[in-house]
Amino acid sequence: MTLMDHRTYLLSTICATLFTKLHQKNEKKITERRSVTSMAKTQAAHSNSKAASLHWTAERMLSVLLLAMGPVAYFNPGPVIDYSLAAALTLHGHWGLGQVLTDYVHGDTKIKMANAALFLLSTITFTGLCYFNYNDVGICKAVALLWSK
Amino acid sequence: MVLLVYSEVNQDSNLNLFCFFCFFFVFRTLGRQSVCLAKPQYSVLYRHVAPMGSTAKEEMNKFWDKNSRLNRPMSPHITIYKWSVPMMMSITHRGTGVGLSGAISAFAVAALVLPGSYPYYLDLIHSLSIGPFLTGLAKFGIAFPVSYHTYNGIRHLGWDMGKGFKIPEVYRTGYTVIGLSVITSIALLMI
Ligand code: HEM
Ligand code: HEM
Repeated sequence: MTLMDHRTYLLSTICATLFTKLHQKNEKKITERRSVTSMAKTQAAHSNSKAASLHWTAERMLSVLLLAMGPVAYFNPGPVIDYSLAAALTLHGHWGLGQVLTDYVHGDTKIKMANAALFLLSTITFTGLCYFNYNDVGICKAVALLWSK
Repeated sequence: MVLLVYSEVNQDSNLNLFCFFCFFFVFRTLGRQSVCLAKPQYSVLYRHVAPMGSTAKEEMNKFWDKNSRLNRPMSPHITIYKWSVPMMMSITHRGTGVGLSGAISAFAVAALVLPGSYPYYLDLIHSLSIGPFLTGLAKFGIAFPVSYHTYNGIRHLGWDMGKGFKIPEVYRTGYTVIGLSVITSIALLMI
C-alpha cells in the first residue's frame, strides 16, 4: 500500500481543496434552502428561494447528466469518463444524502455534526475514486471486469 | 421534508389519495418555488397556515419543539398508514440511493487502504470458486438497485417537470419502473 506516497498526498490535497471550495460557496445557500422547505416557506425571503431553486435545478441537471453518462461510459470508456463519473457520483450522492439527513436529523448541533460527517465522507469518496482512476484500472474498466467474469 | 405534513393531517386512514397529492404537489411547488408560492390553486396545502411575522427557521423550530414536547412519533407514522405501492417505491428509491452511495464510498475507501490492485482481488474472489448461484445473486444485488434507482430517477424527473401526477399515472409509471428494473437486471445477469 502506498497511501502516504507523494502522488496520493498531492491528489488528496487537490481533491479536498476543490471540494471544500465548492462546498463553502454553496453551503450558505443550501442551508438557507433547507430552512425554507417547510410549510412556513411562504414567509421566506425571495433571495433565499432564488438560491434554493437554483440549487434544486442544479440537482436535477446533475441527475440528467449522470443518466447520460451511462451510455457514454459504455461506448467511450476511458479516463475522461472515469473522472467525470467520480465527480458526478460523489456530488449526486452528497446532495442526495444531504436530503436524507435534512429529513431525519434534528437539532442544531446534530445537524451540524451530521453535515460535517457527510462532508468528510464525500471528500474521502471522491479522493478514493480519483486514486482508483489514477493508480488502478479506473471505474469503467472495473465495471467491465466485474461483469466479464 | 417528509415530516412537514404531520401537523397538517389527522391520522385517519383513507388519506392515501390526499397524501399522494401532498407528495407531488409539494415537490412541484418546491421546484418552482419563486413562481407559484402564492398561487390560489395550491391553497389546499397552505390553508392551515396563518400569516406569521416569523422566519421559516423559527417556524420549523416551533414545530419541532412542539413535536418533542408532545412526544410525537416520527412522520410518516410507519405503522398507521396503509402501505401502498407508491409508498413502497418511494422508500425503495431512498433505500437504493443510500445503499448505492454507501457501496461507492466503501469501494473508494477500499481503494485507498487495501494494498493490492482491483484485478488481484477480483481474481482472488473468483479463485474461491463460490459457484454460479452466489455470483449471480451478487450481480443481481448490484444490477437491481442500479436499474431501479435509474428508472425511478427518470420517473422523479418526470414529476419534477410536472408530468404524471394523476393517481392512475402514478401507478402505471410505477409498475413500468418495477417491470423494467426486473427485466433489465435479469438481462444484465445473462450477459
Ligand atoms: C448509481 C449511482 C447513483 C447513486 C449512488 C445515487 C444516489 C442517490 C441518493 C443517495 C439519493 C437521495 C435519496 C433520497 O433523497 O431519497 C438519490 C436521489 C435521486 N437520484 Fe440518484 N443515485 C444514482 C444514480 C442516479 C441516476 C442515474 C439518476 C437519473 C435518472 C438518479 C436520479 C435521482 C433523483 C431524481 C433523485 C432525487 C429523488 C428525490 O427527489 O427525492 N440517480 N440518488
Ligand atoms: C409509511 C408511508 C410513507 C413512506 C415510507 C414515505 C416515504 C417518503 C420518502 C422516502 C420521501 C422522500 C423521497 C421522495 O420524495 O420520494 C417522502 C416525501 C414526502 N412524503 Fe412521504 N412517505 C409515506 C407516507 C406519506 C404520507 C401519508 C404523506 C402525506 C400525508 C406523505 C407526504 C410526503 C410529502 C409531502 C413528501 C415531500 C416530497 C418532497 O420532498 O417534496 N408521505 N415520503
